[in-house]
Parts: sequence; structure tokens; C-alpha cells
Amino acid sequence: MTYAPFKDWENDGRKGAPRGGLTSNLKNQIIMAVIKLDKVSKIYDAGKIPVQALDQVNLEIERGEFTAIVGPSGSGKTTLLNIIGGLDRPSSGDIEVGGVDVDQLSDNKLIDFRKDHIGFVFQSYNLIPVLTALENVEFVMLLQKRSRKERLERARELLQAVGLEDKMDKRPSELSGGQQQRVAVARALAPKPSFILADEPTANLDSTSAGNLLDIMAKLNAQEGITFVFSTHDPRVIERARRVVTLVDGAIASDVRKSEPVQ
Amino acid sequence: MLPILAWRNIWRNPTRSLVVILAISMGIWAALFMSGFATGMIRDYIDSNISNVVGHIQIHHPDYAREKDVRLQVDPLPGLEAFLASQAPVRAYSARTLATGMVSTANGSRGILIQGVRPDQEAVVSNLRQNIREGTYFEEGRKNQILLGQPLAEKLHVKLRSKVVLTFQDLEGNITNGAFRIVGLFNSGNTPFDESRVLVQASDLGGLLHPADQTGTPDPVHEIVLLCRDPDSLVAVQKSLQTAFPRLLIENYRELAPELELYESQMKSVSLIYLTIIMLALIFGIINTMMMAVLERFRELGMLMAIGMNKGRIFSMIVMETVLLSLAGAPLGLLLGGLTIHYFNVNGLDLSAFAKSLNQYGMGTDIRFDADPGVYWQTAMMLVVTAFLASLYPAWKAIRLKPVEAIRKL
Ligand SMILES: Nc1ncnc2c1ncn2[C@@H]1O[C@H](COP(=O)(O)OP(=O)(O)O)[C@@H](O)[C@H]1O
Ligand SMILES: [Mg+2]
Repeated sequence: MTYAPFKDWENDGRKGAPRGGLTSNLKNQIIMAVIKLDKVSKIYDAGKIPVQALDQVNLEIERGEFTAIVGPSGSGKTTLLNIIGGLDRPSSGDIEVGGVDVDQLSDNKLIDFRKDHIGFVFQSYNLIPVLTALENVEFVMLLQKRSRKERLERARELLQAVGLEDKMDKRPSELSGGQQQRVAVARALAPKPSFILADEPTANLDSTSAGNLLDIMAKLNAQEGITFVFSTHDPRVIERARRVVTLVDGAIASDVRKSEPVQ
Repeated sequence: MLPILAWRNIWRNPTRSLVVILAISMGIWAALFMSGFATGMIRDYIDSNISNVVGHIQIHHPDYAREKDVRLQVDPLPGLEAFLASQAPVRAYSARTLATGMVSTANGSRGILIQGVRPDQEAVVSNLRQNIREGTYFEEGRKNQILLGQPLAEKLHVKLRSKVVLTFQDLEGNITNGAFRIVGLFNSGNTPFDESRVLVQASDLGGLLHPADQTGTPDPVHEIVLLCRDPDSLVAVQKSLQTAFPRLLIENYRELAPELELYESQMKSVSLIYLTIIMLALIFGIINTMMMAVLERFRELGMLMAIGMNKGRIFSMIVMETVLLSLAGAPLGLLLGGLTIHYFNVNGLDLSAFAKSLNQYGMGTDIRFDADPGVYWQTAMMLVVTAFLASLYPAWKAIRLKPVEAIRKL
């Protein structure tokens, strides 16, 4: 059997549909939107004045897209990504991820759903400091109860794909910020998620490292068809995206698809 | 990988973890010290009672204990002695002639138990001979020698070579008396014991108990004390004796001195209370440390939940961390405790500064620490339970955090 790190888990001993009580089969929905937001609003009313962080957002993202969510600070980028990723719940509106109405899932089911279907890359603190790069990438697969052999094989291949084959045994503190973010991308890919959400992944990086990270993400998208949704307000990052969704005050101000990928 | 992760997490803050580990070691050491001390003390007390007072098994006429009548003798004596001599598990026995009466001196008198012993037998069964502090044990060929406890001699204001008079009833119920000379003063370290009896030779006491016209008849025996080679064979010996001599009262030391068992169980519960107090102190230290560990990893825990580590796993990770942290302190504590117990087992802890009050309660001053092997397990298990309980609150705190709030702060 040839090993295919960028294919969905299949014929791997796990029968049928993805776990977590999900009934639909993601493979049948390749053409359909993998993320679907319908009039999603989010109001924070913990403070004195309620804040409308998202205002009637309609958004569909398809498999294989390379989408940037842009907008000034406070425009609702993080809120949007958190809601897509099932970390936060909308105040109103519907959200479907991979055909699943994530709003119906309990907190703990949602954690399992994230584990199997969504890869996260945060701005920082992505990695478990006491584990090596390799172990960090293995970690989610461990939660998925993959065999040790499978975990190691895939973790090595993914670290190779992000150009860190010589850093596998380093702990995060021994890696540069850019290298840490690349490990985070490998880690996010490890469970073979439906897509990867990255909230300002380059915010703490110098421009060379940022460019590097974007190169890797773009390559994974172009060659392996990995779906990326990332937020940023860095113009150099924005120009790499193939689709740019601009948020202003929690509402979508523009949504532009570029015909050709910018390399 | 979860145990590895938990273990490495412990060492993220080595100083803090080491402080906890050291505190746990000290706690375990202290618990074992207390337990070793208490066990040593109670064993010493029991041993001293066995060797000074009760022996392993005693044989009496069934009514003797109640009536204390000199006519209630151990019967049939020759058959019993032959049987005892034939029993391999019986190490030694001593036949005693007993009389309750009075010891009088020029300075006053006191009620006491007069124990008439066969010197050779008694020297093997009890510590009497070793406990002679002044003078000598019974010497052969001399009549009317008496041994007194030092505390009693003090009360009676008599010394070595003083003369005392014993008064008691003979076998026919007549008051009789005899003059004895003190040849030795003993001190068993058990003041109540030393004050309450005097020892004479059975032949002298027997002679006085028999009316004048019956000299030559064997001395009456009221009590036979025996020691077994192995304390564990005690019950078996008791059973076979009872079967062979159904009409005699045969009791082991626990039946004879039920306070020993009570005392033992009290000592045990006292050391359990100490253990509990120590564990309670540890529990708060552990909770405090783990709360710090959880709170300072707030963001990381949020990230772990975001990427798919569910609450059950987060919870078990914190529990595992706590238990591992606590168990890390166990080996050192157990080792130190074991070494301490061993040291004081060999060398004894000298409490002679408190001799007076300890002896008052019949306790020795040279405490040989002791421990059942089970104590180490019990302490370790108690620590695991403590650690587990201590982990629940921090683990519960950890799973209550909302990933989105933690992530916001990234
Ligand atoms: N937990 C919260 N409570 C109250 N207001 C919040 C909270 N999180 C975000 N906001 C507000 O929601 C708006 C959108 O924030 P955010 O999604 O973080 O924007 P961005 O990521 O584009 O900077 C901002 O006005 C912010 O202050
Ligand atoms: Mg943001």
C-alpha cells in the first residue's frame, strides 16, 4: 500500500462515515460547499454595550479554495473563523460544515468534530511546548487513536512537506517563530481535516518567514487541494490569496475571486 | 503519549515540582516515622507484658481467676507437665504457686500477690532474672529468699538484705506467715507490675501453704505459664492443650490481657490519624500547585481543546499529572522512612529521659521501631488516593474553561 498523506482517511479500518455521530459522507460533497454560512450574526453582550461582531454574514467556501478573510482590526475576522471552527456559537443564523449543522452538536461532540474535520493554525501558542515537533504533529492522530506506525509515517511526511525534516526532534522553544508556524500547519494537516483555518498565522512573523509559510500553504493548496481559510491584514499575504473576503464592521463588504493563483 | 505528556508537564516548572515532591517525601517520611514509632512501642509493650507478666499461654483452674482461692489448683499436674514436655512447639513453661496476701516491714504493709516460682523454670519463661538490678537471683540451698521490685522496695522503705514478713491463708484457711530476706531487687520497667508482686521460691511458699502435719506433699501449683517457640503456633498449642485437658482454663495472652489488643488498636488509629493529618496538609499543597499549573497553561489548554482534545482527556491528563507528581515523591519518602525505621529498629530510640512516666504506663524506654511491610503499601496507596482527590478540583477547573476565551488571548 502506498502512503498518501493528502488523501482522506480511507480503507483504514474505520468503517463508514466520519465519527462523531455524523451521518453524511464528506466524500459525496466534494463539489458542494464545505463551509456554508447563512445570515450568521454574532453579538457580544457581555459588556455594557452590546457589540455586533458579525452582521448577517452569508458565505460559502468550496473544497480546494484558498481564501483570505481580510479587514481592519476589530472587523470580525477572528469571530468569523471561530464560528466556522466551532469554537464559538453564532447569535443567529445557520452554519453548516461538511454538511453537518455544527450548532446542533454538544460542546464535547464539537471537540470531537474539530479533531476529525478542522485543522487550526493560531497566531501563536499553537504547539505543546513539552513535545517535539514530531510529537506535536502526532498528537491529534493519537487522539484519533491511529496506530503508532501510521502516526509516525504521516508526521514525518508532513514535516517534510513543510520543510522541517531536520527539526523533527526539536521542541518548540528550539524553533524560530516561522518554523513553529510550519509545524502548526503540519499539525493541522495531520488528522486529514476537511479544511484548515488560520487566524492571522503570519502576524508574529518577519516578512521572510511569512512569505515562506505562505509558499508552503499555497503549494499544499495547489498540489494537494487542501482547503485553506486564513485571516490577515498583511497586504503581502492578501495578494497571495485566490479569493479575498473583506469584512467591515462585521459585514462582508466585498468577495473577490481571482482567476489565476498568484505565485 | 498521555503519561509522557503528563510527566513532561510536571517538569516545566522544576523548582515548584521539586518543592512538592520534597514536601510529599517529608510527609511520607513523617508518617512512616510515626507508624514505626507507634508499632515499635506497642510491640515493645506487648513483648514486655509477655515476658514479664503473662507469657504466651496460661493455665489455671477455671475458677481461680474469680476466687483467688489457694485450693483451686492446676490438676492433674503430673499429666500436664508430661504433656507440656512432649509438645515440640512449647519452648518452656513455669509452674507457679500463688497466694494473695500482705507484705509487712517495720515501716508498713501492702497487699500483694505472692508468686512462688521454681527458679530454673521461671528464669527461662520470664525476664525476672535479667531484670535484677541489685543483689542476685534465687541462690540454691538457701531458704526464704525473696525478690522485690525496686518501686515496691522504695515504697516500703526496705533495702537489699532487709527482712520482710509475708502473711496469707494456707490451704486450710488459717492465716499463716513467714519471714523472708530480700536477696534481689528487680525492675522490669513496668511499674504497676513491679509494685504489685513479690517472688519467692515455690518450695518455701508451698511449705507454708501446707499445714504443719502435711510436709512432704508436692507444692500446690495455681498457674502454669508457657512460651511457644513461634508466636504463630500459639493458637494451635492452646487448642491441643484444651483438647487434652478439657477441665482446665487455658488462655492466650490476648485473652488474659485484652487491654493489649485495645491498646494496639488505639495506637494504630492514632498513627492513622497522624497519616490523615499529614495527607490533609499535602492535599492542599498539591491542589495549590496544580491550580497554578492549570491557570498558567490556560491558553495551551484552550488550544488543546480547540484541536480536539476532549474534556475527558484533559481531565485525565491533569489527574495523571497530579498522581505522577505525587508518586514522584513516594520513593524518596518510602526509602527515608524505611531507613529510619531500620535504623531505630537496630539501634533503638532512647527515651530514658522520660523513663519515669513511661514506666508508669508499663512502657519501655528503648523504642525499637518496627513496621509491617503492609505499612509501606498502605502509605503509598493513601498517597495515591490523596493525589487523586487533590487532582479533581484543578482538573475540573481545566475542563470548565472555554476554548474560545483562551484562544482570544493567544
Ligand atoms: N469576547 C468578546 N466580548 C466582547 N466583545 C468582543 C469579544 N470578542 C471580540 N469582541 C469584539 O468583536 C469585534 C470583532 O472582533 P474580532 O473578531 O476579534 O475582530 P478581528 O479579529 O478582525 O480583529 C471587536 O469589536 C471586538 O472588540
Ligand atoms: Mg483577530
